[in-house]
Amino acid sequence: MYKSILFLSLLFIWFSACRSNHENEQNPSGEIQLGISHTVDGNPLATDTLQYVNAAGNHYLVSEIQWFLSDLKLEREDGKMVEPTDDMAYYIDTDLPESRSIVLRNLPDGNYRALHFTFGLNEENNRSGLFVNPPESFMFWPDYLGGGYHYMKLNGKWINADGLAEPFNFHLGIGQEYDSSALKSSYIRPNDCCAANHCEGYKPPSKMMPVRAFIQNSFEVTLSQNFVVRHGMKTKLEIEMKVENWFRGKHVYDHNRWGGSIMQQQAAMKQGLENGLDVFALHVTSISDVAK
Amino acid sequence: MWRSRQLLFLFFLGMLLTACRRDKDQPIYNPVPYQIDIPFGFPTKLNIPSDNPMTEEGIALGRFLFYDGRLSGRNHPDSLMSCGSCHVQSRNFEAGVDHPLFESGFVHGLNGQQTHHVMLPLVNLVWNHSGYGWNGFLYPENPNPGLRNIEDFVRLAVQAKDEMDADTSRVKALFQTLPGYPELFFNAFGTEKITFKNMERAIAQFVRTLISANAPFDRFLRGEYQLTASELNGYVLFTTEEGADCFHCHGGGGNPLFTTHLFYNNGKDSVFVDSLDRFAVTGDPMHRGAYKAPSLRNVAVSGPFMHDGRFETLDQVIDFYAHQVVYSDLIDPLMHHVLRGGVQLTPQEKTDLKAFIATLHDENFLTNPAYGPPAYFPDESFKSDSHD
Ligand code: HEC
Ligand code: HEC
Repeated sequence: MYKSILFLSLLFIWFSACRSNHENEQNPSGEIQLGISHTVDGNPLATDTLQYVNAAGNHYLVSEIQWFLSDLKLEREDGKMVEPTDDMAYYIDTDLPESRSIVLRNLPDGNYRALHFTFGLNEENNRSGLFVNPPESFMFWPDYLGGGYHYMKLNGKWINADGLAEPFNFHLGIGQEYDSSALKSSYIRPNDCCAANHCEGYKPPSKMMPVRAFIQNSFEVTLSQNFVVRHGMKTKLEIEMKVENWFRGKHVYDHNRWGGSIMQQQAAMKQGLENGLDVFALHVTSISDVAK
Repeated sequence: MWRSRQLLFLFFLGMLLTACRRDKDQPIYNPVPYQIDIPFGFPTKLNIPSDNPMTEEGIALGRFLFYDGRLSGRNHPDSLMSCGSCHVQSRNFEAGVDHPLFESGFVHGLNGQQTHHVMLPLVNLVWNHSGYGWNGFLYPENPNPGLRNIEDFVRLAVQAKDEMDADTSRVKALFQTLPGYPELFFNAFGTEKITFKNMERAIAQFVRTLISANAPFDRFLRGEYQLTASELNGYVLFTTEEGADCFHCHGGGGNPLFTTHLFYNNGKDSVFVDSLDRFAVTGDPMHRGAYKAPSLRNVAVSGPFMHDGRFETLDQVIDFYAHQVVYSDLIDPLMHHVLRGGVQLTPQEKTDLKAFIATLHDENFLTNPAYGPPAYFPDESFKSDSHD
């Protein structure tokens, strides 16, 4: 009796092993290793060294870049979208090497033609309280300014008109439209802020800044590039952030005009964001056996 | 099949019997695990080393040791010193500017030598993953296994010339002779033989329970308290770049620790000569003059302020950020108001900012008896009546 049970269970294990093998053949899957790089003028970003000049002629340095990449999607040759991960957002930090490498597993085999993501966090996801753990939580965007999280903090210094190295915080997130006719000391009703649901988890403050409306600034990025995913193979892709492009393109962004802080200057953020459409590029770096 | 069931039964019977026998002869080592309740909005990731899980027994022992002056390895009334000699609960576990012994809050060790920096508070340390000490010299990934966590601070505080200036083997030998302690060590760690390692573990466990999360601002986050007009205005100032611009380093609604536990040069000086700044840990010349941004919880009672204690009052600190920020190549980019000399607050704005910082004052934390000195120590339990 004992022996026969043993035999049956062995048989069962053998069968199920067999079946899962079979499934794999029907649904072959591969892997993508997605690297994130930050470059200036085609070279890897060198932090804290005053060696860059932007389109406006500002000499500048970059100390660190911290940002969110979210809603990652892969587009197949036939236009079908693949959601390669359950992770809604990735925090990327020039100081944290591990944050610059994303592994996507169990991807359907085939030919792909594009990668899509949201720069920052989309309106629905960008709520205060979403992240409680650092480093993500350190990206919080104050509720008075719209709540949620910074899409990006790009911190550095530029040589200002007086020849001094002045700090700039190129911080992007939800913008505000201020009531310019209101006195600085006047406020709007809390519901005007929380109608947008950005105060989730908080009791709405009874007094607010004279903000008329909040402006969602995150944008979708589409990077067209052919790549393949093959069963048992690892495809290495790289998303490149071309830092200098934040400051050129549709607008020539001049630090002397906007100064060191822009979280409360929608006009400045808008310039950056519109330039942002040309900031990213996708490269296929290699394809190899998963084992390698 | 039947036979194996019989065996199982015998096995359990055996276990039961031996368990009973142990009960008669010696106490059972069966510590109760301690779970930290995560307060609203706080991080869920805790910095608890895997070889020192928290237990009720470990914490209880740690509290005795934290406050027992014989931690200095000596008995003489003149040479007693414990963690609690400097880390005073009512002063946010610093000495405070009004300490009877340490003038203006500048602490010194048993031999009179002043510490290199002023104190840091012991508040919500279990959420710090980036480094203990003003320059973060103790951090979990440190290649040196002796410089990684609060456990190591215990050893360093006991040995330091400017603190207890004691010898760890003498300390553990002394505690071995104090009636009551060996039993507590057994309850916490399963052995009556006292090791200094277990002393470190117990104290660190206690320090990790020191949690402040019930200030008016916490109640505001939970929807139980409404900030006053002045406090709200202060909150707006605190969390806006065009206001006082404190939040990038000191947190806010989305980071209720009120610190990032990261290291910044906040523009106090233009020349940097301190040998124990952040540069001393990282070797990166960009980190000269950088220190950890301390939590602003209960900060009003824990002067003097900054690593060198240069400011005695919160008003002075606010004036500094408003008007006295100094330019250097090394200033952190987040101090982007530097060329204006600071964030330029009006007297009313300073009042409001201070009113907001006062909402981080957690009276419950500063008076909670569980964090305070025990009424008596294990070897003097007979005194308990008179103390209670
Ligand atoms: C002589 C006074 C004194 C005594 C006694 C003392 N400390 Fe401290 N403690 C300090 C000072 C000063 C600092 C700041 C150290 C620095 O320069 O980084 C500090 C810092 C700390 C920190 C780091 C806090 C942080 O946020 O990084 C911990 C933890 C700590 N002490 C624990 C203890 C423990 C546990 C004991 C008892 C074993 C103890 N201390 C005894 C003065 C003291
Ligand atoms: C660039 C980051 C940064 C910003 C912005 C900043 N701080 Fe700080 N803060 C620090 C650092 C770093 C220290 C410790 C510096 C030292 O000890 O030398 C500190 C120390 C303090 C202290 C003393 C704490 C103690 O226990 O000694 C207070 C109070 C304080 N800051 C309040 C504020 C306020 C209020 C604001 C806004 C007006 C602000 N800080 C803005 C980084 C910052």
